[in-house]
Amino acid sequence: MVMDIMIAAGQAVLLLCLAPLIVGIINKTKAILQKRQGASVFQEYFDLWKWWQKPVIVTKYCSWVFLAAPVVYLATSIMAAMMLPGLLQNGLRLGDAFVFVYILALGRFFMTLGSMDSATAFGGMGGSREIYISVLVEPAVMLAILVNAARYGSTTLSQMVIDYNAFYFTVPAVMAGVAFFLVMLAENSRLPVDNPDTHLELTMIHECMTLEYSGRLLTFIHWGSMLKILSFLVLFGALYMPLPLPIAVKVLLSAVLIGLVETLNNKMRLFKVRVYLSAAVVMLAVAFIAQ
Amino acid sequence: MELLITALGLYALGTLAIIWPKRLELAAHYTAMWLATGASLMVLWVACQFLGQAGWGMPIYNDTIWQLGRYSLVLDSWSAAFLLIIGLSGAAVSIYGIGYGRGYLGSRIRQLAGLWNLFIGSMVMVVLAGDAFTFILAWEVMALVSFLLVNHESEKKQVVHAAYQYMVMTHIGTAAILIAFYILGGGADSFAFKDLAHSELTLPLQHLAFGCAFAGFALKSGLMPLHVWLPNAHPAAPSHVSALMSGVMLKVAVYGFGRFVFEFIGAEVLGYGLVVMVIGLLSAFLGVLYASMEKDMKRILAYSSVENMGIIFAAFGCGMVLTALGHSRLAMVAFTAVLVHSVAHSLMKCLLFMSAGSVMHATGTRNIEKLGALAEKMPWTAAFTFVGSMSLASLPFTAGLAGEWLTLQSMMTLAFQAASTELRLLVIFAFVLLGLTGALALGCFVRLYGVAFLGRRRSGLVLKAHEMPFSMLLGMGIEAVAIIIVGVMPAPLVNIMRNVLLVDGEAMPGGNFLGIWWDGGQSVALFSPWLILLLAGVLIALLCAALISRKIVVTQDVTWNCGTEPTRRQQYTATGFSKPLRRAFDFILKPRRERVFLQREHAYFGRKLQYNLQIPDQFTDRLYRPVQHVLIRSAEILRKLQQGSVRLYIGYTMLAMVVVLLWGAM
Repeated sequence: MVMDIMIAAGQAVLLLCLAPLIVGIINKTKAILQKRQGASVFQEYFDLWKWWQKPVIVTKYCSWVFLAAPVVYLATSIMAAMMLPGLLQNGLRLGDAFVFVYILALGRFFMTLGSMDSATAFGGMGGSREIYISVLVEPAVMLAILVNAARYGSTTLSQMVIDYNAFYFTVPAVMAGVAFFLVMLAENSRLPVDNPDTHLELTMIHECMTLEYSGRLLTFIHWGSMLKILSFLVLFGALYMPLPLPIAVKVLLSAVLIGLVETLNNKMRLFKVRVYLSAAVVMLAVAFIAQ
Repeated sequence: MELLITALGLYALGTLAIIWPKRLELAAHYTAMWLATGASLMVLWVACQFLGQAGWGMPIYNDTIWQLGRYSLVLDSWSAAFLLIIGLSGAAVSIYGIGYGRGYLGSRIRQLAGLWNLFIGSMVMVVLAGDAFTFILAWEVMALVSFLLVNHESEKKQVVHAAYQYMVMTHIGTAAILIAFYILGGGADSFAFKDLAHSELTLPLQHLAFGCAFAGFALKSGLMPLHVWLPNAHPAAPSHVSALMSGVMLKVAVYGFGRFVFEFIGAEVLGYGLVVMVIGLLSAFLGVLYASMEKDMKRILAYSSVENMGIIFAAFGCGMVLTALGHSRLAMVAFTAVLVHSVAHSLMKCLLFMSAGSVMHATGTRNIEKLGALAEKMPWTAAFTFVGSMSLASLPFTAGLAGEWLTLQSMMTLAFQAASTELRLLVIFAFVLLGLTGALALGCFVRLYGVAFLGRRRSGLVLKAHEMPFSMLLGMGIEAVAIIIVGVMPAPLVNIMRNVLLVDGEAMPGGNFLGIWWDGGQSVALFSPWLILLLAGVLIALLCAALISRKIVVTQDVTWNCGTEPTRRQQYTATGFSKPLRRAFDFILKPRRERVFLQREHAYFGRKLQYNLQIPDQFTDRLYRPVQHVLIRSAEILRKLQQGSVRLYIGYTMLAMVVVLLWGAM
């Protein structure tokens, strides 16, 4: 047990260290595809370090929830990272796939409450949209769990790791993979659902909630969301990508793929997301029935 | 078992508060509430003691605790599980009621306190009833007393309307249950439950009996489309009564339904389980969708009760489907989920209705648009509400997730067994709706807590808010602590609840030192909340240490607002918060918007707007209004027969006699 926790902690530290790099790679891919020079792949490390040193400004109207939100958000992201299978070992068994979802939900609960605590229109707007997106994402997430769990007869994450011998490029496996990729973009506030690059109020969802945070609190939030992206990439690689490649290659490949998708797509209207995620739900449903 | 009779006696004694002299009304209130607390604690003790003995199964009737002719009270493990809910929540809410009821000094406080005792007592009686007569008698007392309690503030027109609507609806439900008993009794030796269990029914009659029983109990537990009374009646009652109605009385309906399914009718017909599951799932989703749109705190909670009862019945239906498919061992996870979620929902809903009562007590409003920043004025109430909100959003460390996790596991178990495409479609339907429900519940309680307790105050009413007296905080505190204990250590509760239905040591969902587990598929699914708590604690401590380890400058300032000073009215409102959801689900909700220009000098400025938004309950409009219309129309036609003329009535009598004579001659 203690050994498991140590390994899982090592895995979390590793992912924490690599998370900014992955986001840097996504950004660099986008820059190259857009014929820009772009920032260095290590830029996110510099950004985190910059925010880390800055003073913290806290709004006058807030309660403890506002201060607790970034801490809980990063803590839940780290716990989720510790549970990931297919990396160092099977991942820490805090629970099964449903528990993974609900641990991330705890972070979302605190972030949206924190955004409402800042008492302006911006925070509430971000929280409101975040909830809206999460409501549409959740059925797809549940079905994604269902597809793999029913295939392998277990909801434990380490049992759900894809088996290449049996499911190498079959139709259900590909459909589930594509659908999970769509879910991943929505869950991590990427284009075409949310635009991670701007603070323009028409597009912002996640960025809108973080608007009132500064200094180390902001570092926590950004680091937490980078870790969440990397965790989802690992999960995508380990559970849903039907290619017999090492996990590191898969993660790099899907990071480049995100860069490609973000270059090729515009941000869609907020109320079109309903259709976008319905497509994911339908694909997952077909994958479940077909297998 | 003498203890249970004593408890019932204490409730009866407490009921006598109604006839205390008026000048002693405060003393009557205190005595009655303390008696209710004591009696509920006794009930809780008996339930714990009974459930503590391992290896009890459902159909055990050797524990008749009282008998008088046909009437009998019987204790078995299924009743004991619900006695646990009644005892625990009954005691906590009674303690809260000691302080809260004082607000009714001078407005029939003796009746309130006396009927309170009768209400809890009647629920205990329903659960203990050993035959159909006792059951129906206690059920009617429960219905009538709760009607009187809902109608307590009868000066308000709205309250009277809600109370009578409740009265009519609940009696329709009772009628359905009576029919079900009548049909069952036709095939049995007597109306005692142990004889009804051997009732031999032919198939169409069995379908009818099941249909009536399900309709009756679904109505009482507020499943859609029979829920329309619930969002009106629960908010209309005094808050501690709402807590008990939502937290406990709805579970009594689950008790009755379980009694019918497990013993009288059985779940061998696949269709029964499918109907229960689909209705449960739809209630869960639609209930929480309406809850996310409301701005009245108690209506939000009432709709959320519809949601949670939906989840409970969905799990129940899932268990019935598994039983019908021949997997009665696997079905145990679903029935355990039913019981665990019933306990969890009872705890959290009682807690939040109590906190809604405290907010009303402090500010005089339950409209969350007029609250805000209450966390500052009422820190304890805010902390307890936070726990309750987390639990209703089924987050880790709270009882809500234990029930939700078991429910999801039972659906997954069904998925493992679903070989046919039809069953797979059902499973997909279940997971889509449970996913939507879970995320909407999170949004709903973020909105409730964020708008009412965080941010800045939204009206002057918040200025006079103050913390509650000790008894009220104690009542809420007990429930909050219970939620966290069950949430962090769900193993004992899960073990107790699966023992309720245990038949001869079969493998079951269970709990051990790691947490709770279930082996429905090829490997064991595990959920260990205390480990999550431990890890979260360590991580949060580390992060906090990082946050404050070095000297960093922290300044406080107003929120950034594009360079202007933010006003209170610029905060997101609750209505605004749910706007994206309202638009995404407008094909279900059909909101009615109305924009009135009070003043309009120019197309873009100098205008004064009034904006009205209504989200009528679609079931009321589309299902109940037409039925009501037809009923009133037909009554108008029948009225023509009643002209008030004596000669006409003599004529009717003559006519009737002629018909009878002719009939007799044939």
